[in-house]
Amino acid sequence: MSIFIKYYKSGGLNVAFSNKIWRYNSTSADMAINKGEEEEEFRVLDILKKRQRQQRRVNRRADVQPDRADRMPTDQNWGNVWPGPKTFHPSSVPLPLRQGYVPKGQAPPGKKANAELMKIPNFLHLTPPVIKAQCEAIKQFCTEWPKLLNSEEAIENHYPVEIITSDYCHASPSIRNPLARIVTLRVKLSTLKLDQHARDKFIRLVGERYDPETDLVTITADRCPIRKQNQDYVNYLLTACYHESWNFEEWEREKMEEDMEYYNWDKNPSKRSLVNWYLKTQNQSKELSDEEYSNYDVSQIPNGEEYKVAVSSYMNDGESEGTVEKYGEAVRKLLGLPQKKVVS
Amino acid sequence: MISRSWRNLCRRYSQTVTFRTTESSPSQHNEKQIGLFYSVNHDLCKQLFAYGGLPKSFAKQTKTFTETAIMVRQPALDLIDCIKASDFNKPVIRYVMYGEKGSGKSLTLAHLLHYAYEEGYLIVHVPWVSEFLRRVPRHKEMSNSQTREGFVDLPLDVAAWLLHFKTQNQVLLKNTELKISRDYVWSKRESTVAGSPLSQLVEHGINRVKYACDVLDALVYEIKQLSNSKQCKTFVAIDGFNGFFCPLTRLHTPTKKKVKPEEVTLTGSFLELAKNDWSNGVVVVTADQLALPDDHQDSYLPRYLLYKKGFELLDPFVPIEVGRYTDKEFLSCASYYRDRLWLRGPPEIETELKFTSACNPYKFMEQCAPL
Amino acid sequence: MSNVTHYLPVLKNPLLLRSPWSRLQKRFLGRPTSFPDYFQNPIFRKEDQAKLIENSELSKLAAVPVRPPAVYETSSVYHDPLVNKVINHVMEMGKKKLARELVEKAFENIKRKQIERYHLASSPEEKAKIILDPKTVLHRAIANSKPLLQLSPIKRGGITYQVPGPITEKRSLFLAIKWLLEATNEKDRTIHFPEQFARELLDAASNTGKVVKRKQDLHRQCEANRAYAHYRWQ
Repeated sequence: MSIFIKYYKSGGLNVAFSNKIWRYNSTSADMAINKGEEEEEFRVLDILKKRQRQQRRVNRRADVQPDRADRMPTDQNWGNVWPGPKTFHPSSVPLPLRQGYVPKGQAPPGKKANAELMKIPNFLHLTPPVIKAQCEAIKQFCTEWPKLLNSEEAIENHYPVEIITSDYCHASPSIRNPLARIVTLRVKLSTLKLDQHARDKFIRLVGERYDPETDLVTITADRCPIRKQNQDYVNYLLTACYHESWNFEEWEREKMEEDMEYYNWDKNPSKRSLVNWYLKTQNQSKELSDEEYSNYDVSQIPNGEEYKVAVSSYMNDGESEGTVEKYGEAVRKLLGLPQKKVVS
Repeated sequence: MISRSWRNLCRRYSQTVTFRTTESSPSQHNEKQIGLFYSVNHDLCKQLFAYGGLPKSFAKQTKTFTETAIMVRQPALDLIDCIKASDFNKPVIRYVMYGEKGSGKSLTLAHLLHYAYEEGYLIVHVPWVSEFLRRVPRHKEMSNSQTREGFVDLPLDVAAWLLHFKTQNQVLLKNTELKISRDYVWSKRESTVAGSPLSQLVEHGINRVKYACDVLDALVYEIKQLSNSKQCKTFVAIDGFNGFFCPLTRLHTPTKKKVKPEEVTLTGSFLELAKNDWSNGVVVVTADQLALPDDHQDSYLPRYLLYKKGFELLDPFVPIEVGRYTDKEFLSCASYYRDRLWLRGPPEIETELKFTSACNPYKFMEQCAPL
Repeated sequence: MSNVTHYLPVLKNPLLLRSPWSRLQKRFLGRPTSFPDYFQNPIFRKEDQAKLIENSELSKLAAVPVRPPAVYETSSVYHDPLVNKVINHVMEMGKKKLARELVEKAFENIKRKQIERYHLASSPEEKAKIILDPKTVLHRAIANSKPLLQLSPIKRGGITYQVPGPITEKRSLFLAIKWLLEATNEKDRTIHFPEQFARELLDAASNTGKVVKRKQDLHRQCEANRAYAHYRWQ
């Protein structure tokens, strides 16, 4: 009789199973011995099946050659060994590299079968001698740097527009990075030919991108997927703003006092109050019209010019201790009051 | 009483105190007394500052120190010199005091009020504008103005202020030469006839709270007339003037609509006073960060605090900066606190406190409190 | 009461000899902190530093890693470890700023009241008796409200006896501060904490008031229960 006991174990060899089956398919001579054994003691029911576990026999090649890296001479031409970008191959690289997560109490993992080293792009094809050779090859196509462009001012004079792009390298199999498409254009506003109205309009159009302290207009584009497209877009923006700012629209005539970007003292109520005050001191209380107010000659009023300058700088240059003090001085002179005494 | 005379006795025989001055009349103060404290008479204090004028923390200090002592400082002297040098035939000159929080603007104003009182000015003093516009207890007594459409009245506040005005100018109002120039008809049975004294107008406002705001308008007009006709000289002092130019107040109508300062009647009256279309007077105003809500307190400079409207109204004004204590003033203040038993300890404390309080008067007072 | 012996605190570290209160400042926290245990506590008082220079032990300390001082450890003239301890006990939910403000306002109130009393006092002898410094008032109040014995519940034969026994300095100080704060927190809703605290401190400093009464009650109870004292060693 034969008892089929089939065990399905992952990866197990069937050799052991067939051994087992063979045992139960024994000849009649063995069966007698077995039967005798069975009559004396019970079969041990092997629930955990610990005996089935055998050592996994790893098939290793017995004829593994030594690494090519061990046989490389030190004065070889590395450019011939690694001519182009290639995934890391440990046996071809004669360096004792160790890279990767360091488990506690152990050394960092070596270069053989190191997934980390294989994942990342390596630049073994761009060693300095190779690059030098490449540069020498390209040099015949290059011209010299112009001698007169030897200072920052010269460069700014002749090439005022700066295009800034960035290239990225990071731990990934691909060298493409979506951030590389961003293009920034920087130009100084003083290099553009704009009159006062055009300059004001340009600054309003460009908005936040203008920095008054450094006088730089910075335009950034990242809406297109390719760098060249973004470059074209940025150039287009600059040209469009420039030409638009020279245009004068009809609705710009409706610019009110609140929209003015600087303080024009003549058109402001400050002048009105000064003129009124002056007239009262002369005991003439007239009601002048708006035009007369703006046309009124301030130099008639003693210390009036100084007051005008002080108020304009107070409003235009922003408020600070210095401007307030100047304003105070001017007003005191106007109203005929003694100046502030400086107590040491 | 016995203790006070005993203390005075001690003081007379003690060493020369370098932080006090015996000159108690502000018109006599000059640079020699910068940094020294002078004490104000108790009755005068009650008359001038009963309803406000001194900051609350300072009022508590006066109770502990049993006297009101104000330090003579450079901005006050500067203002007094300017007032003395100004020509009262020309339109009024406006002065704007500005400075950091706690640098002494309200106390300088108090000093000037004392000076104005001595010189016999008619005092128009608004102790703190935000009391009207931003102090809203559970129920604020507000009403819609009858004489002006869409305006809001604060009858009780204005009546209280009229009482304050009356107490401050008791002496001047008693002499009945200050007369009203035109008739005011309040209702069918009540009217104030032209030629009646100013005190009667004020009394009417206090008694009939309903008409208090209109009385205030009338009072402003009359004061201007009287000043122009040289019958009295006026000293207008407003603390926290920039509160009138805020975008919104904390008041709201019964329909829960927020009220703007321009819609309150008393704003209009006080702004009228601050204009320079009258003469024979002085207008001193402070621009204070604390009068505005917290989100507009970035800087203490006048143009930022007064907004565009305030600046245009007050231009041209004389800006006066009230700064922190100088070294001399700081030492004098520290020795005054030691004398009043407020500060004790070794002299190293002065250097420490100078550093931690940055010579700011209010912070110095705060930091001496638990020491 | 006569059986009580005071134990002087045995200072392990002779460097921190400034006052008995400086022993409070050990800063050995049970939790792991940024600085390991072998770091020394900082010496931030000028007097202690001067002493180090005298003993020429500064060079030893200079070579050893030292923790940085905490925010409340200053070399200022007004530094008082007891005041800091009281502020810590007042603090809830880690709100140190609020706790410090409350205690400082309480000091201000004490000062104002005492100055008022000073001005109302008629003769110089009376004036000399009035303490104007709020810190001294605090020290005196705590000294007056520190108990000298404590009752521990010991169970013998099914009955829990309250047995009087010795009390350590630390526990005594803790109880004093705790009683003061409990008395303050029994205040009326409309009265502010600093005012009530000032009143309690002034009362305790003059040996009157709730806290001192509580301490005296405890002492009386200990006296009454002195028969059970031997239960501690059964």
